[in-house]
Amino acid sequence: MKSNTVNIVISGVGGQGVLTLAEILAKAALSDSHNVRVGEIHGMAQRGGHVVCTVRIGAGARGPIVDPGTADLLVGFEPVETLREAHMIREDGCVLLSSHIQYPVAVSMGKASYPPNKEIIDGIRKFTNHILEFDAMVMAKEAGSSRALNMIMLGAIIGTGLTPITEKAAIDAVRNTFSKKFESINIKAVKMGRKKVENLNR
Amino acid sequence: MTKPKQLLEDNVGKKVLLLANESIARGVLEAGVRLVALYPGTPSSEIGDNLTFMAPHIPNFYFEFSTNEKVAMEVAGAAAVAGVRSMMVCKGPGLNVAADPFFSLAYVGIRGAMVIVVADDPSMWSSQNENDSRYYALMGNMPLVEPSDPAEAKSMLLEAYEISEKLELPILFRTTTRVNHTRSPVTFGPIRDRPKTIEFVKEPFRFVPIPSVARVRHPWLLKQMELAMEISESTKLNFITGSGSLGIITSGVSYNYVVEALSTLDIDAETLKLGMTHPVPEKMISKFLKRHKQVVIVEELDPFLETHARRIAQLNEIKVDILGKEQGFFPRILEYNPRIVIEALSKILNRNTSINWKAIDQKASEISGLPPRPPLLCAGCPHRATYYAIRVATRGKAIYPSDIGCYTLSIAPPLETADILFDMGSSVTTACGLAEVTDQDIVATIGDSTFFAAGLPGIANAVYNQHRISLVILDNRTTAMTGHQPHPGTGVTGMQEKVPPLNIAKVCKGLGVEYVKTINPFASLADLVAAVREMTTWTRENHKPSVLVSIAPCALLEAAERRKTGKVPQPYYVDSELCNSCKRCLNRLSCPAMYLDTKTGQAVIDQTMCNYCGTCVAVCPQGAIKQEDA
Repeated sequence: MKSNTVNIVISGVGGQGVLTLAEILAKAALSDSHNVRVGEIHGMAQRGGHVVCTVRIGAGARGPIVDPGTADLLVGFEPVETLREAHMIREDGCVLLSSHIQYPVAVSMGKASYPPNKEIIDGIRKFTNHILEFDAMVMAKEAGSSRALNMIMLGAIIGTGLTPITEKAAIDAVRNTFSKKFESINIKAVKMGRKKVENLNR
Repeated sequence: MTKPKQLLEDNVGKKVLLLANESIARGVLEAGVRLVALYPGTPSSEIGDNLTFMAPHIPNFYFEFSTNEKVAMEVAGAAAVAGVRSMMVCKGPGLNVAADPFFSLAYVGIRGAMVIVVADDPSMWSSQNENDSRYYALMGNMPLVEPSDPAEAKSMLLEAYEISEKLELPILFRTTTRVNHTRSPVTFGPIRDRPKTIEFVKEPFRFVPIPSVARVRHPWLLKQMELAMEISESTKLNFITGSGSLGIITSGVSYNYVVEALSTLDIDAETLKLGMTHPVPEKMISKFLKRHKQVVIVEELDPFLETHARRIAQLNEIKVDILGKEQGFFPRILEYNPRIVIEALSKILNRNTSINWKAIDQKASEISGLPPRPPLLCAGCPHRATYYAIRVATRGKAIYPSDIGCYTLSIAPPLETADILFDMGSSVTTACGLAEVTDQDIVATIGDSTFFAAGLPGIANAVYNQHRISLVILDNRTTAMTGHQPHPGTGVTGMQEKVPPLNIAKVCKGLGVEYVKTINPFASLADLVAAVREMTTWTRENHKPSVLVSIAPCALLEAAERRKTGKVPQPYYVDSELCNSCKRCLNRLSCPAMYLDTKTGQAVIDQTMCNYCGTCVAVCPQGAIKQEDA
């Protein structure tokens, strides 16, 4: 797409908070007066299956769809689900990869095997060398809840500096969306994610 | 997840981020719609999800989750006949259910205004087909409007009510998944008042289409469609943008892909964007075709506009190359994206695509053998326990007619308890048909919402015609698949009022089913297996239908409740001393909260995903799965 648009693809497993992250990102972008589109998938596709969401920020965004080879940022909530969408990333694009594995049922039943980490990284490298890997689940638990995994990823996205979204706008969007009960955990997670990626990028 | 409260704000000019479905819910307020009736169906579900929470706060407004789409069409149709503005909402297959009143409504027309929102699902993200509902407009002679994004979903809805009022006809308002589930900025307009009540003025020789009436109404309808054509020629819903020797005609979500493709390829073209797609503006299209040597038609699914363009070119003897699906430039299946448009335009204009997608596809194909991750029953889903019991009790040998809902996911191994499915309610009726031509046992399953939507006539049929079918009703106290809407068994209405719920077991008894039992699938797995065995035996011996109602709330509702109360049960775990690595739990239950520890060869319960149903405890032959002591 046009260079004035930032394309983000978020890939994960239904229930991990992929949709929520996309909405928070878009709210933050809008509050900073950016044009924005979110593509979501609801219904049957969500039930524990592979979920992909797109967020497009910038004047050139009309539709919600990101074509293969045009994502500036691929946000992977889970290793295999990141590799599954690796073709979406553009040549110099950045991949955020949470290394925490959520085993598909086919693997638990012994009907399929989970690829080793090296194979996943090598697979993504076919498309880009810019991979930032960290265990967002460990970080989320440290922040106070495994459910804050998507907030770690939100912070990580801001940490890449590849989007026009500011941490302040993101935190405001988090405050306006969730109940006060989880606010401190969520905000802590956003900051942890940002710092992690800033350190990895250094 | 935009809060319904936000949609109620009387704040003209405010810009908010909305799904098209939320934008339509807001549009209901701005159009002064008096009544909305619908049955939830993805990708349209969030329209009702928002309206039900908005409804109690809107003066003179009525919203209901009707029992099915036919009912919703009739409820909303009657309100519009009486003289108010009404709306009916459904997914693509839902319009098939409501087709009968749909055609009648066009004949009799309405005195108020009515919009029928139908959400088609190209790519079948959550539907059994990708029917193109635009043909309903053609067949039924009903004006058709198609928005391309969330902003148009509201602005065109307001316009649709104006057109409906002028023509005294309902308007078919067709969206697709990528419109419904796109989120983008939408600006609030003023809220319009609704009348409290109106008087129904009798006019039976218009509104009762006995043959003598219908014969008069059909020519009336055709005349109204001529007026609709005039509107189509002048409405701002149909507009031209850009200029160039190449012509493009498009509608709906594809318009966005056209704009992006032209920008990416840096091509000049004149684009005719149609918002009103039935009747199409024939003069406008005719003039457009005359101006160009080549006109490309970009539309998802069937060649609807393309066929119109070819017809108009032939009628007006226009020499123009109309390029679309007929020559294979565009596919007739699945959703479009900018790439499809870029590739087709590149082929037509004989130039290279902006990105070397062939190389990307090649690299992507080298990454193969990834473990699949299809959607599946959630951890703690009561259906898993029930299906496990059905399989064990019938040793996997019965025929398992299934129905529409989360439970269709039992098609996957290891449950494998879905053998035949047509549509809502077909579990009961396909079972009836199979019972007459096979000797096999038949155990059909249907959900609670589907039971009320379309199961009742089938059950009456099974009772009266004495079909030997066993029917297990999976009552998880909600319409789960579409996002937890209430139904007549839940005791909550669309207006958020508490009412006496209908009791499924009593309804079945009332319909004449002699064998009706109720069970909690989490109480005892052994009892559940025994209950299924007993009902199949009874059915075989008595040659009559039997019903077992398996009641336990949806795991997602339970999880939400736990988050609210903060009360978390003691965790389940696998005792590594007792586990002998037989993997029975993993292989028979396929619970997403369990996985194999490749180092120890033993099963592990993922505490972050477990929903505390405890079904695995009963499945383990070693007694190795335990709940921690309080």
